[in-house]
Amino acid sequence: MVTSTPTTTLDQEAELTGGSGKGGRGALSPTATYLLRRLGLYVLTLWGSLTASFFFFRLLPGDPISGIISQLQTRGQYSSLDNSQDMVEFYRKEFGLDGSLGQQYVSYFRNILTQFDFGPSVLSYPSPATDLIIRALPWTFALIGVATLLGWGIGVVLGTLTAWKRNSRWAELITNGALGLSHIPPYFMALFLLIFLSYRGGLLPSRGAYDAGLDPSWSLEFMISAIKYGTLPVLATVIVAVANWMISTRALVVSILGEDFLTFANAKGITPRHVLTRYVLRNAWLPQIAALGLALGGVVSGNILIERLFVYPGLGNLLVDAVIIKDVNTAMATVTLLIFMVLTINLIIDLCLPLIDPRVKFTG
Amino acid sequence: MAITGKDETMTDTSTASPKPATQPAPARPTAPTGAPLLEIQDLAIHFRSARGVARVVDGTTLTIHQNEIVGVAGESGSGKTTLVEAILQIIRFPNRETHGSVMFTPRSGPKIDLMKTNERQMRRLRLNEIAYVPQGSMNSLNPVARVGDQIVDGMVDHGLGKREARDRVPGILERVGLEQRVAKLYPHELSGGMKQRVIIAIAISMNPSLIIADEPTTALDVNVQRKILATLSKLRDDLNVAIMIVSHDLPVHAQLVDRIAVMYAGQIVEAGDIRSTVKLPLHPYARGLMNAIPSIGKPRERLEGIKGATPSPLSWPPGCRFHNRCPHVMDVCQTTPPILAAAEPGDRDTGDGIVLVQPGREVACHLYLESTPKEARPQ
Amino acid sequence: MVFVNLYRESGKFRLGAVITLILIVIGVLRTPLLNLAVGDTDPMAVGSFGIFLDPTRDHLLGTDRFGRDVLGLVLIALPVSLTVAFLAGALSTVLGVVVGFVSGYKGGRVDSVLRTLTDMFIVIPTLPLIIILAANTRNLSSLKLALVLAAFSWPFAARVIRSQVLSLRERPYVELSKMTNLSDREIIVGDILPNMAPYVAIGFAQASVGSAFALVGLTVIGLGPSSQMDLGRMISEALGYGVISLGKELIFVVPVALLILLFLGLALISQGMEEFFNPRLRSQA
Repeated sequence: MVTSTPTTTLDQEAELTGGSGKGGRGALSPTATYLLRRLGLYVLTLWGSLTASFFFFRLLPGDPISGIISQLQTRGQYSSLDNSQDMVEFYRKEFGLDGSLGQQYVSYFRNILTQFDFGPSVLSYPSPATDLIIRALPWTFALIGVATLLGWGIGVVLGTLTAWKRNSRWAELITNGALGLSHIPPYFMALFLLIFLSYRGGLLPSRGAYDAGLDPSWSLEFMISAIKYGTLPVLATVIVAVANWMISTRALVVSILGEDFLTFANAKGITPRHVLTRYVLRNAWLPQIAALGLALGGVVSGNILIERLFVYPGLGNLLVDAVIIKDVNTAMATVTLLIFMVLTINLIIDLCLPLIDPRVKFTG
Repeated sequence: MAITGKDETMTDTSTASPKPATQPAPARPTAPTGAPLLEIQDLAIHFRSARGVARVVDGTTLTIHQNEIVGVAGESGSGKTTLVEAILQIIRFPNRETHGSVMFTPRSGPKIDLMKTNERQMRRLRLNEIAYVPQGSMNSLNPVARVGDQIVDGMVDHGLGKREARDRVPGILERVGLEQRVAKLYPHELSGGMKQRVIIAIAISMNPSLIIADEPTTALDVNVQRKILATLSKLRDDLNVAIMIVSHDLPVHAQLVDRIAVMYAGQIVEAGDIRSTVKLPLHPYARGLMNAIPSIGKPRERLEGIKGATPSPLSWPPGCRFHNRCPHVMDVCQTTPPILAAAEPGDRDTGDGIVLVQPGREVACHLYLESTPKEARPQ
Repeated sequence: MVFVNLYRESGKFRLGAVITLILIVIGVLRTPLLNLAVGDTDPMAVGSFGIFLDPTRDHLLGTDRFGRDVLGLVLIALPVSLTVAFLAGALSTVLGVVVGFVSGYKGGRVDSVLRTLTDMFIVIPTLPLIIILAANTRNLSSLKLALVLAAFSWPFAARVIRSQVLSLRERPYVELSKMTNLSDREIIVGDILPNMAPYVAIGFAQASVGSAFALVGLTVIGLGPSSQMDLGRMISEALGYGVISLGKELIFVVPVALLILLFLGLALISQGMEEFFNPRLRSQA
């Protein structure tokens, strides 16, 4: 049993910001060193996680080819094919499952890099998996993009305001509400919204991404339909995201409010509104952008469930469909794309941060 | 590197000054000549907490005149910083009680009691009339805004047009001895001394009639310290501004101020012109404080500290608050609090010997007060 | 001793501990409670009672589509979910402590490799991988499921432990032990481990929250173990036969509520502990 209270703190901020190592050396400028390092890390992480997921799929118990063939048979079109050795070899080649593991690995990456080809899908054989994920990508991108931007933006502003007015009853009420909401997974929030806004209220549709009678296009009618169908899934994510961003921003702002530069701003006779916008908010939103990148993985994970619940035609739903019928190529394509998306956005954030936050320098 | 070296190479390139500012002005007035600018009358700031009422400032009386530099000295815990924050109304602690008044005379308009202003009136006075140079100047600038913008935003919020405010920046920077390009830099790109100059630049941006500087040089090395003080001293002459300097550091006062007030346990215990006060401190506490500094050129003597520790604002001692640390304590000290008043001129026995008290000295000590019965004093 | 003070001083921890404890007690007492709820009937058996009965005294939460008592189902599902969440929490804590320890203690190259790995696991979306792994594992048992979840929730614990080891490593008494040539093992066992207990506890709480989140994610889309009933599967089944449109929400609202309580309890415990052991956070609250 421990008898003394440790006095040292968990330095989480340091953890969050510490992305890269020590200062640059040699002839390169600090900026170039930083860019190279960050890009190197990006390529390394991307390669590592894609390699890991490749072996992850290939080393799963059982030979995927038998599953694929039986799926193709149960899907009807190919019931005439017999289970001969020739056919197995044909599909093995077709699905990139021939040769040694090393050969598969090389050809897998070569096909992705040169032709963005993940091989044929099982879900809609013989269309390539790439077709499926390209069709699903915009929906997921829109859903996550809108939900994250709204959730982050509203959360940061509300968190700043509740910290600013932290002695008011309203702020306390909102903060406690957010504390409660933040522990509810978005999926459950989606369930409640479904019950109250869709089934009971009949206000919004419960499944799909647009009206079944419409064809995807850029027409106004289609856009309105897409927004109507997207509202519930977005709302579910946004409510929980707002609560979480609000709480972390509030903690950040409360500590900013104790800073010397705020006392001085006050003593300078700056108007309260300008203190809030130029001194408080400006210091709060920059660190929260860095935090955004770290939160993204969780958002993507949560979004899979939301898409599943609303039968939304995005990558998450596609992934689960593919996993259930053991459509390896499509599942791999989906996972690859999701990982690529998250890592790339993190890269963009890391590269942009020194441009918008004067305290963060390209120092490698 | 050129930037950080600025403080060391700084000379008075700005507006011509009649006397070299790096030396204390030789002819400082012994009595205030200007009209009263800030009159602190019996000010008390009490904080209520779970542990009781902390009477941090408790009956402080002090007047600052126009174009005068007044120093407030005292150890930490004497209430100096709270006094400053009370004048500027920037105290953060919510549960507080205020007694007494702080009358301020603006350049135009009638006298106002700063303790009775609302936040709106006070905001207009800040920077415009009363400017602040804070203690923690290292962190007093917004880390994510350029220096120039931080000078401009204060002016804009006091009614100047953006263009007009921007046009003023070069002149202001020059006045405090900073290069023009500093305006484009961020605070973390500045040295400590430069940050302090930027703070001073902000403080003078609206030509205030009073600058209140709280420990303006504490975190700086001695060389930079000296130059910052010289800058302040020059600003007084150039801008016709009064300065109140709060510092625990007596050499700072000796270099800069006209008059000094010594604060102890939330009260001013002695006030007078700097020369005679340093030469002959009257209050036993002031004497202890000044004896704690070695002086060059005088015969070596044992440095005397003040015995005991600063009492707690939660329970000041009864009578004279210094009595339990005082080497010359008398019976009357333990029961009757001495009130700051003119010391009775003439020969006085301080307990350390007979001294000649000149007129014009103020002290809160039974050894010198006319109000104290003769028989209670040392015979 | 520390934990007694923690319980006394942190309201958050107290509330979280009480919530979690109540859930655990219900789980532990499942046999007598089941007896009260459904008597000798097998709660999983189909057709024991009428279908979609409304709550009555006999069936406090009503029955589902297969005529099973909902309370009975909840009582067998809750302990399964708790077991998996805590088992996964414990396994990932062990993994996280080892990684965090080695990373923080060894420093240098080892640290930068392990930290990059940890960061990678935190940044990339792991639920897809969990889904795939779980869907392709044969005879998925609670233990196997816990292992799958633990494989992806250890970075939470690793990060907490690493930063703590880093600060402990700089303490004077550890420096002293190093100078006196004590072995790594002696330093770890003698100087560092005893000071780690609170942080291991925080790591455990965080890893359990992470595991429980992933567990629910997995089971509500119907990819959990098919041999056992747990709260997520209850929700998934209820949605599958359309209880929302039938207006029988109670069937899944109860498991949802219990899971939210579990999240809330664990999160409060971990927040309470962090604030208590890290006063800088407390002052900001």
